[in-house]
Amino acid sequence: MIVKRSIETDEVTTKPRLRFAIPKGALFAGAVDVLSRIGVDTRGLEESGRQLIVVTDDIEFVISKPSDIPIYVATGAADVGIAGADVLAELQVDVVEILDLGFGACKMVVAEPLVPREDPQRVYEHLGVIRVATKYPRITERHYSRKGVQVEVVKLNGNIEIAPLIGMADQIVDITQTGTTLRKNDLRIVEDVMFASARFIANPGSLRTRSSQVGELVGALGGLKVQ
Amino acid sequence: MRPVTPRGFRDILPREACERDQISRTIIEALAAWGYSIVETPIVEEYTTLQAGVGKSLQGTVFPFVDTDGTLLALRPEMSVPIARLAATRLSQSPGPHRLSYSSEVFREQVSLRGQARQFTQVGLELIGASGPAADAEVVGALVESLQATGLRGFVVALGTVEVLRSIIAACDMDLQWKDAVIEAAQKRNLVAIDLLAAREGLDPAVASALRAVPRQCGGREVIAECSQVAGSFAGVGAALEVLGATWDLLEASGVQEFISIDLGTMRSFDYYAGMVLEVFAPELGVAIGGGGRYDPVMSEFGDPCPAAGFALGLERVHIALSEQGGVTPARALDAVLGGEEQRSFAAAARLRAAGWRVRLASGDQASVAEEGERAAAKLALWASAEGVAVLGGDESVIGVLPEPFGEPPSKVSTESEVRS
Repeated sequence: MIVKRSIETDEVTTKPRLRFAIPKGALFAGAVDVLSRIGVDTRGLEESGRQLIVVTDDIEFVISKPSDIPIYVATGAADVGIAGADVLAELQVDVVEILDLGFGACKMVVAEPLVPREDPQRVYEHLGVIRVATKYPRITERHYSRKGVQVEVVKLNGNIEIAPLIGMADQIVDITQTGTTLRKNDLRIVEDVMFASARFIANPGSLRTRSSQVGELVGALGGLKVQ
Repeated sequence: MRPVTPRGFRDILPREACERDQISRTIIEALAAWGYSIVETPIVEEYTTLQAGVGKSLQGTVFPFVDTDGTLLALRPEMSVPIARLAATRLSQSPGPHRLSYSSEVFREQVSLRGQARQFTQVGLELIGASGPAADAEVVGALVESLQATGLRGFVVALGTVEVLRSIIAACDMDLQWKDAVIEAAQKRNLVAIDLLAAREGLDPAVASALRAVPRQCGGREVIAECSQVAGSFAGVGAALEVLGATWDLLEASGVQEFISIDLGTMRSFDYYAGMVLEVFAPELGVAIGGGGRYDPVMSEFGDPCPAAGFALGLERVHIALSEQGGVTPARALDAVLGGEEQRSFAAAARLRAAGWRVRLASGDQASVAEEGERAAAKLALWASAEGVAVLGGDESVIGVLPEPFGEPPSKVSTESEVRS
């Protein structure tokens, strides 16, 4: 699918505004923080409330669901964005992953009940597959196929921890920061799948056709990391 | 039943078809001005041919199927390999270089439910049998001029070479898995992954800093010197940058450098590129409208070792970018709708067409012919009778008679006096 861009321009300077996709939820505060530290006007973002589009002098912010950010950027609807490495690995869309912004660090793990209804190893021996619940079906499939384990992936959209408790899955693949939620639900970490953090991404076309605007942001954000 | 087109395939209706045809013709004509002749190849190739040419990136991108004798076939996923095959098998005896252009449908498998087209049209050229900066600059120059001919503005050709990164990787003694991971990260343009790979323990610091820097280098002619500073010490980099620099100079001499950006992060996903690679972007579109590069290894694979390079533009994407800029010229309108007694209207229409008119035959009385003329946005509504060919007004009135022999069609809607004169 090819999305045509509507290019917004500033009325005074007539310079086209860069469209910047910002994730709501866990990464929002970190995104606002790094942007304010490089001198971007983030007052509108901080006061955005339920507003989804925030316009400043040279940037138009689009606030959206974290898992949609790579799609906004890949189609060119947004020029740049901040997205989690987990979501990027899951979606595998055509964006340029430019910088690791460092915040929002977490890991994706395989977890299973402390006291399993049935031992996953035994399930596997008898049935030849184990059932895995996850929000990340592609990462899950890749992870198990690399290990040579056959799985049936159950795609869920939230509260993955519940799946093994109600007999929907033997294991889960999910993101965890401190492991508290897993422990509270009597789950234990079996292994790590990947480490994730917030990434600065750009549309490959914007990188070329709006290189000075994107380059400025990359330079400033890259400089921040070194400090 | 209510038939549908298979997933990812679509029909193209008259208005779009007409605009596509105009754009494609304009590009082919611009390429003809550089001496390129159009060729056609079958939409089907033997799978082994495509595999030899396209390599492992073929997997998951083609539609394979089995011929009745068991041969594995596939619909062509791009045009460089079929044309390289054509040149290697049909033209190897005639003196080159061969300058070939095409406007052809290609087919790619797409994951279900993503709404992506599985058939699209590529318009482009292949220059087979010529190498060096002059050949590279010819490919890029023809690309820029053909896009200019379509009226597209503000496009950028990102011009790079795969040799710089390859040379850096070849220079270090890391395992093959690491090297493949770097290439894959570069092709996916995942700079964070490259940084991580560059941080691998035991890696030569010179390699590490070159790996971090090179994929981010883009700009004008100065980028070549910047790249030489960080990577010039690796064998092969100097030669690759020299070709790139000389190519830039030739493009500057042709006056098209404003459309070119040297971009060493450009890596195409097809494996066959060696040397120049390019991608074309329009400000209105988030995806590349075209791409290409040098693919000498494909010709060797086909037993006719010789240099080859080319580019392909995605017709659908160029069309979107042009229409966003308001640059698609409307199709030539119908000159007339013609009714009347059938014997006479057929005869009159033949004489009008011979004079260069676009005439649609209509049935019914004068009122309905006049109405159809209006609906079809024809310049005139005509009525053929024993008295000759009359020009109909809006309300069944006759406002004039076309003088015979018929001349050129009117350039705009004629007024009563113009018709009479």
